[in-house]
Amino acid sequence: MIYADKSVGVIVQNITGRQGRFHTELMNDYAREVGGRGVVAGAAPGKGGQEVHGVPVYNTVREALREHDATASVIFVPAMAAADAVMEAAHAGIELAVVITEHIPVHDTMKAVAYAELHDCTVIGPNSPGLLSPGECKLGIMPAHLATRGGVGVISRSGTLTYEVVDELTRAGIGQSTIVGIGGDPVIGQTFVDALAEFEDDPWTEAVVIIGEVGGNLEEEGIRSTDLPVVAYIAGVSAPPEKRMGHAGAIIEGGEGDARSKIRRISALDVLVASRPSEIPELIRGVL
Amino acid sequence: MKLLEYEAKEVFSKYGIPVPKGVLIRAPEEIAAHLPEIGDALVLKAQVDVGGRGKAGGVLFADGATAVETARDLFSRDIRGVPVGSVLVEEKLAIEHEYYVSIAVDRSSRQPVILFADAGGVDIESAALADESAVRRVIVSPLLHDIPPFLMRELLGDAPKELAPAINRLYHVFREKDAMLAEINPLVTTPRGVYAADAKLIIDDNALARQGIAVNRDLSEREREAEKHGFSYVELGGSIGVIGNGAGLTMSTLDLIEFYHGRAANFLDVGGGADQERVMHAVKLVASMPGVNVIVVNLLGGITRCDEVAKGIIAADVPPKVIVRMAGTNEEEGRELLAEHGYRMLGSMDAAIRAAMEVSA
Repeated sequence: MIYADKSVGVIVQNITGRQGRFHTELMNDYAREVGGRGVVAGAAPGKGGQEVHGVPVYNTVREALREHDATASVIFVPAMAAADAVMEAAHAGIELAVVITEHIPVHDTMKAVAYAELHDCTVIGPNSPGLLSPGECKLGIMPAHLATRGGVGVISRSGTLTYEVVDELTRAGIGQSTIVGIGGDPVIGQTFVDALAEFEDDPWTEAVVIIGEVGGNLEEEGIRSTDLPVVAYIAGVSAPPEKRMGHAGAIIEGGEGDARSKIRRISALDVLVASRPSEIPELIRGVL
Repeated sequence: MKLLEYEAKEVFSKYGIPVPKGVLIRAPEEIAAHLPEIGDALVLKAQVDVGGRGKAGGVLFADGATAVETARDLFSRDIRGVPVGSVLVEEKLAIEHEYYVSIAVDRSSRQPVILFADAGGVDIESAALADESAVRRVIVSPLLHDIPPFLMRELLGDAPKELAPAINRLYHVFREKDAMLAEINPLVTTPRGVYAADAKLIIDDNALARQGIAVNRDLSEREREAEKHGFSYVELGGSIGVIGNGAGLTMSTLDLIEFYHGRAANFLDVGGGADQERVMHAVKLVASMPGVNVIVVNLLGGITRCDEVAKGIIAADVPPKVIVRMAGTNEEEGRELLAEHGYRMLGSMDAAIRAAMEVSA
């Protein structure tokens, strides 16, 4: 497993919002189930002193960390204030910031990621479903019941498509070490390269599934950087050029990012690329 | 959202980047009134959002005597299928040399990247492909307000130092206007100094509101309507309607339709936590497209409740056959509701799309 384990203490930023509230409860349900620590505190400006599902709320991350031992933050702050929330977390000493928020302006993300780096804070996302290590910990919004513990790592730019693939793996009897959604935006903190480097150092992980999309060439960069056995799936082969398919990151850019040429380049690296999600379990068995 | 050249030049000019004297006209006859201020050597540029505009006949030269006639010619043209609604009339610059500069978002380094070439102009892309060293690139920290002099020296190489202020101002535009791309091609030297002869500016769609842009022109009317409901929506022209949650899963659904040799009518991502109301609107929107005889609904996840989705589909009550694949919270309740109303719910993406193919054929 990578990034975090059972022992991680988590805070939730904007814990008093609808999503923050709902997922704090789910994260803590999961923590109870696996014997982890879960969400120990929340932060929301002006809401200090409240409680959300029994979790105490503070005005700032710094105040929360004064009273509680936490190293990770899950961020549900609205788009226009989310980059500020990442910087606040990094500044206060948070080591791992998981950003669920979507539609953050890309200039904000660039600044927040650069600032977090200065403070040795690892950023996952934005526009990420978070991460889930079955039997260990859940930071974010992934539905835990689809996953099962095992030796396959999953790295994805998508949310629900990840659940689809995890469901296929679980049904085929293939468990997962950590499932990490790195986010669908053009600029993200942890990339395929970074997540694969984490998996290489993880004794649990024997192989990795990479779920990519049209746009950019981060999938290919990641595959080149690793010695782990990898199976890839790239969504968007039917996407017409120059059309938006929901993610800013999924805009096809001048040939380099379209799905077909991406698949061609990945295949040229002797990596198997599934033509549909249901093919992934069979291909991953072949490399285990 | 892409700005047109004249809009980008207005922005550049406000940031102190010199642009040629010019005026926007919406009819050929308007040109006559502006000749005294612009002069006798003219460039007429169609304001259309088309790549390779010059090669497609969207840029014409004229003098005072031929101005009106040339403008008529340009307004009557069709630039790669796009009619000419407005024309930017500019003074023709006495160009000594053309350079290329652009600033974009670099996904790998997660920072702004600046590209510069000593030979700008219409063939920059093929030149860059043919010879990688033809384009120099530097990465700038997004925490810096200016391009540091050492990076500017690296970027310019032997090119004249007088280009530096324009490039630094372009970086200010890029930062402050939430640009995904800010480009000057060509950036030119003339006896009167440095000018941005062309201008390209693409604004981050997620920052339009704070940039004071109320309407995203890049979207069609139906796409804007979809956006109001919180959907991402694209029309594709086939016969199988598609509704999914999450961009990746929805895209993957389209890919699977292609895998089984079908043709999708659209891409519609309902977004996270869709309730009865939103699902109903989505189903109705997709059913309203001509030629759609079957709709695949593929929803998955923790927040989305299957019974809500089922109620939305039933409430929409549309003529095309709706085939549902969903999994997640309250899956059984959803299945029962759908069965009571005669809808099919299938267990996998593959099965749902094969079933849709049968209806569509």
